[in-house]
Amino acid sequence: MSKQQQTSNKMLNATQGLKNIMGRHFLAIEQAFRDGKPTAWATSGSPVEVLYAMDVQPMLPENSATVSAAQKFSKNFIEKAEDEGYSYDLCSYFKTNVGAVLSNANMIQGGTRKPSFMLSTDVICDTHVNWFQVQAERLNVPHYSIDVPHVVSNTNNRQYNYFKKYVSEQLYELLDFIQEVTGNEYDEEKAREVSKNSWDLSMVWQQIYELRKNVPCPISTRDTFGGLFPLFTMPGLKEPIRLYKRMYKEAKERVEKGVGALKHEKYRLMFEGIPYWHSLKWFSNLEKYGAIIVYEPYTYAFSKYMNPKVTKEMVLNKPIEAMAELMLSFWYIYDLKTRIKKFAETVKEWKIDAVIMHENLSCRPNSCGLYDLKRHLMEDYNIPCLIVSADMNDPRKFNEEQMNNQVETFMEILEQKVHK
Amino acid sequence: MKTIMKKIAIFDSGVETPEEIILAAGFTPYRLFGDPNLQVDRANEHIPPTHCLWTRNLLEQAIRGLDKDIVGLIATHGCDRTNREFDIWLECVKLGFMFFLNSPRKRDKVSLRFFMDDLKELIAQLEETFKVKISENGLKEEIKKMNQIRAMLKKISEFRSKMIITGSEFHALVKNVQQSNKDESLKLLKSTLDKITSKDPLQKIDKKKKILLTGSDIDDTEFLKYLEDLGFTIVIDDLCVGTKYFWHTVDEGEEPIKALAKYHLEKPIYATKFPSYERFNHLKMLAQTYKADGVINIAQKFCEPVLYDHPYLSKKFKELEIPYLFVEVTYNREAYKQLSTRFSAFAEMI
Repeated sequence: MSKQQQTSNKMLNATQGLKNIMGRHFLAIEQAFRDGKPTAWATSGSPVEVLYAMDVQPMLPENSATVSAAQKFSKNFIEKAEDEGYSYDLCSYFKTNVGAVLSNANMIQGGTRKPSFMLSTDVICDTHVNWFQVQAERLNVPHYSIDVPHVVSNTNNRQYNYFKKYVSEQLYELLDFIQEVTGNEYDEEKAREVSKNSWDLSMVWQQIYELRKNVPCPISTRDTFGGLFPLFTMPGLKEPIRLYKRMYKEAKERVEKGVGALKHEKYRLMFEGIPYWHSLKWFSNLEKYGAIIVYEPYTYAFSKYMNPKVTKEMVLNKPIEAMAELMLSFWYIYDLKTRIKKFAETVKEWKIDAVIMHENLSCRPNSCGLYDLKRHLMEDYNIPCLIVSADMNDPRKFNEEQMNNQVETFMEILEQKVHK
Repeated sequence: MKTIMKKIAIFDSGVETPEEIILAAGFTPYRLFGDPNLQVDRANEHIPPTHCLWTRNLLEQAIRGLDKDIVGLIATHGCDRTNREFDIWLECVKLGFMFFLNSPRKRDKVSLRFFMDDLKELIAQLEETFKVKISENGLKEEIKKMNQIRAMLKKISEFRSKMIITGSEFHALVKNVQQSNKDESLKLLKSTLDKITSKDPLQKIDKKKKILLTGSDIDDTEFLKYLEDLGFTIVIDDLCVGTKYFWHTVDEGEEPIKALAKYHLEKPIYATKFPSYERFNHLKMLAQTYKADGVINIAQKFCEPVLYDHPYLSKKFKELEIPYLFVEVTYNREAYKQLSTRFSAFAEMI
């Protein structure tokens, strides 16, 4: 039997452990409330490590919103938020969270608890800042926000240096803010331990991604879309590292046996954007064309230690400065020029045939620049690209039939291109 | 022969670009405005359909070709949608100088230091590109000039609530100043002030409903005329083509870069900045001081910062028992007409 003919179980067995890990995360939140321990809401891209280092239990409402969508609650929550006056056009994560809080949803439904304080940054988008401003006022809790300067295609080194200084200064201010609100002090030893765990977690995730370079690809989005969550909810804990190591081991075994996540891998795709959490089955539909997604900038980006200037030594010894550098160089918010270059390199390294891009109707910062990115990839690098419009959390903005038709046509074109 | 000064265009959804720096470099600051009659076509190849219609309109103009005297552009930090459009401008618009000014989202001491660093960088890049020297004295002179403009605009603004000039007339004046040679603007403002000081109140507007106008960047004077035709008079505003441009003055005794940075961080806050909820205190003060019958909050379609603030503002004005109307508007004059029923109903109600 040839390598290509061997079958796989699609999702890794180890990934099943994700449910337990996330379950423990939710239990830790409940435990924190029972123990009277400080808790905080944090937006993705925030320095969650600082919270763990100061013994504050983090909660990520974005993560909870995806749970609502996967459990088919998000539409209801979104409509509740719209009844409160929040526009149809605003972020569906935000509205899911507003609706979930208004509905007193439990954690299984994507609910969350009132925190001791909120921490937002605009690393990814200013929606995060607006979102937490709204909820901090409604729930009457303190809110600290980190302003991250916008790096553009012509930002020079001089600028980059004072950008870093600005973010670092705010991170130090954040430590004071947390101490003031919770009474907990910043412990350098604990910070070092958290930083080490965070680094190790990301490195294993990156190793898993390296395995995805293999043909056939051992891992599909069944493992990565959900597998991503510990990266932003639990960076600093040991448990998720063990889970990722198990995922890595199993994936490596697949590679050694020549087993792919897809039985007959024909096309290797990249998916740019946030998944449609309410309709994850859509991604399985790609399999009927022999297509597998082997790279998602979204799930890779959260293994944040990608900037070569940020070494392990820096992370352990100067965690705040390292954090500032990382917040400015997060893969998901690269300036357009760097983004084009990075996409082209990734396509080559991961042997990708085509890119599917999600023009996210309620995430404008993410979809801004997508048309130029597509044009450059197609014209300068001859990479086939398809843009599909949908929404990450609002199933009302998901036209499955139309999207399937688009994909079908795209696959026909790809067939001609790859096999000409 | 009159010398035509070269211009530096400003792409700013607020008014946070320090014009004094551009003036001290020897250029005329020229704020870009949309054209609601323009058929947008080429910008659609770059910006998705559910993104800000106003900035799409600006990009369309820029792709087609800006004023020939424009030699550079400063884009200033607004919301994260428009911020990311700057990279698209770098792709599509070929000018010798293009700078993204990171006016900070926050307004504390750390942000002030950062903004000063960014202003210094702007100065350095202007000096390097155009081989000019922006001196401290030069900045001080321009601050003085801009303060005179601000003070005069504030005086003229007061004639709106005295029913001597209309909100739309005033809007057109501010718009003119934001694109003109500032010496010419000073002359225009002086003559306007002379004219209106001796003028009697307009009888017609006296009977209209007095409103405070706020919201997204409203740069189409026709929209204000449209509101006036529906029975409103805009006695005060919280707009960038309005009070945000002149409400305070820059401290002339302070070191100029610090003074400019402070000025922009201390002026009434924008929906794009944090904490934008502080806008309410300023709006409340304006509504009460100018005895507005109601508040109209306009969101340009897809203008997220204004959309986020609306339910809070609605709640707060309700508590104050000040009538409040929120309307989303498409950047197109034909589309205004479809909203007449809502505006008329509000005029009748207040």
